[in-house]
Amino acid sequence: MLGRTLLLRNPYFAKPSLILRNLTVSSPTYDIIKIQSTDDFKAKVINSKTPVVVDFFATWCNPCKLLTPRLESIISESKGKVILAKVDIDEQTDLALDYEVSSVPVLVAIKNGKVQQRLVGLQDTDKLRKWITQFTSDDSEVNVHN
Amino acid sequence: MTLFNNFRKLSNFVKPLKRTECLIVLSRRTFASGWMCCGRKAKLVDPLTESVCDEDGTYDYDLAVLGGGSGGLACAKEAINQGAKVAVLDFVTPSPQGTKWGLGGTCVNVGCIPKKLMHQAALLGEAIHEAVAYGWQVPSVDQVKINWSSLTEAVQNHIKSVNWVTRVDLREKKIEYINGLGSFKDPHTIIATLKNGSQKELTAKNIVIAVGGRPHYPDIPGAKEYCISSDDIFSLSNPPGKTLVVGAGYIGLECAGFLNSLGYSSTVLVRSVPLRGFDQQMAGMITSEMEEKGVKFHHRCIPVSVEKLETGQLRARWLNTETKEQGEDIFDTVLLATGRYALTEQLNLKAAGVNVLSENGKVVAETEQTNVPHIYAVGDVLEGRPELTPVAIHAGRLLARRMFGGASQLMDYDNVATTVFTPLEYGCVGLSEEQATQRYGADNLEVYHAFYKPTEFFIPQRNIRNCYLKAVALREAPQKILGLHFVGPVAGEVIQGFAAAVKCGITMEQLVNTVGIHPTVAEEFTRLNITKRSGKDPNPASCCS
Repeated sequence: MLGRTLLLRNPYFAKPSLILRNLTVSSPTYDIIKIQSTDDFKAKVINSKTPVVVDFFATWCNPCKLLTPRLESIISESKGKVILAKVDIDEQTDLALDYEVSSVPVLVAIKNGKVQQRLVGLQDTDKLRKWITQFTSDDSEVNVHN
Repeated sequence: MTLFNNFRKLSNFVKPLKRTECLIVLSRRTFASGWMCCGRKAKLVDPLTESVCDEDGTYDYDLAVLGGGSGGLACAKEAINQGAKVAVLDFVTPSPQGTKWGLGGTCVNVGCIPKKLMHQAALLGEAIHEAVAYGWQVPSVDQVKINWSSLTEAVQNHIKSVNWVTRVDLREKKIEYINGLGSFKDPHTIIATLKNGSQKELTAKNIVIAVGGRPHYPDIPGAKEYCISSDDIFSLSNPPGKTLVVGAGYIGLECAGFLNSLGYSSTVLVRSVPLRGFDQQMAGMITSEMEEKGVKFHHRCIPVSVEKLETGQLRARWLNTETKEQGEDIFDTVLLATGRYALTEQLNLKAAGVNVLSENGKVVAETEQTNVPHIYAVGDVLEGRPELTPVAIHAGRLLARRMFGGASQLMDYDNVATTVFTPLEYGCVGLSEEQATQRYGADNLEVYHAFYKPTEFFIPQRNIRNCYLKAVALREAPQKILGLHFVGPVAGEVIQGFAAAVKCGITMEQLVNTVGIHPTVAEEFTRLNITKRSGKDPNPASCCS
């Protein structure tokens, strides 16, 4: 009973995504970033050598809140093969409008500065994992170049 | 001919200014093109740098709209549909308590939308108690209470999502949005002061003033320091607690109504009469319903002072203007709802040559056009027009069609329906009994009325004393209807359809020949048969209660 209480109160246990990140990823601070400006976006997303999933979200959007932990845990599983860049559409309005974010959440997969895919709305974990795996594999890039 | 002369005079006056403007724009453009070399998309180019300002008088925009509220946005969107190039300026000066908000104007941010949501929260709270009478087993129903911060968060989240949709809409329609406070430099030039204090200039062929209004603060000690207004209540960080509402217009009554139903004790100071301008018999129904629900009213009272106590609470003092007696009490919140003023002062209208302001600073413009032919106004800023979102939208849209679509249809401000969203709602369309009497004389009117019992009210034994409706009609057959008034649940939904009928000129003969939908509250209109003149009892027959 005591152990259970401790488990519940420990914030690391309440947020499984954090545990995963801490245990499985060598550099946890680099695979999930928050975009601070258009220049920041350019540097960390457009010029990134690693594929990036851009999460356009809003603080007032409930589906966004549900999506975040699912997304973070999957990104952490990928062990640095893909970066998650979070963009608050109210803070980075121009960026969101440029990427035609009319409703949130929107996920935009970017590889070598090019938009590969978009996923609109709340997704379940399985679909998210499949989508991210597919886009980080080499095939998707070939498809786009064709 | 006069119009044409005005145009000529104006263009002569404007020309030298425009030449100077060309120089500024050109130099800015050179600077901007250097800055834009790293730009990505043409559509991101600062529109002001695209300015073309030829000698023959081309402007940056066909239309500049000052104010991104209901009226301004509707006008801008319709202008775009008509092929015009449009810019919208919108800027919210924080309230004295520091509340600010996003794009979309009063209705979306601090008016109709949050008000309706809080009204709904209040109705749901009442419904929880009624549910017990219908057999729902609600655990500890006496302890049911509102979580104020959950409510405000939900309301604010909805508002922010609407702000975003509005923003996206402007972008998709290619309306230039400038988050700056607009003022006139000359009849065709607007200066936009941005948040960081920097200024932008733009020129427009036509300009629409749609700046709306903000709450008025009475000149008493403590008003701006300690009191809130409707600008603040919907995002208030702490539960309002025991609240004094100063003012008994529809905003004051709606706020007092939902606060009381949410469990916050509410007191209303009424200066003259409640709901001035509305049918006073119906206004009386609304206030008696509120009193029966626990709202306290102090009639003929004006506020004197508000001071802050060491406890953080507020001591409010007021004066009864008839008895000269003073009253006071201690509140957690004092909400001022003593009217709204138009935001025309900051526009520097003199520079534009607009000189049609009324005493209270509103724009007098019969057909939305000011004395300067290319400067118009829509929405709450207009003198003598109903301050209602759909009115502003309709007027703005028609105006855009006249400006750019060759249309001639004018806004018809008569027979506009509205609803006061007090816990028991009051919906009306057309004339009040007082207005009708004044216009046609009591002898020429027939007033049909009835109390009624909504079916749903029987089981929870809800108060039916104030469920009342009336139709004010001409006495002469076929008795054209001048006004319809309804106090009861969902009054807004009830009156909307009848408003269309009134617009079509419905008569009492036609109304009573309409077959009702049973059981609804709206059908009561089709059952009206007792006239006030007959002196018969307007109360419904009943088996019990």
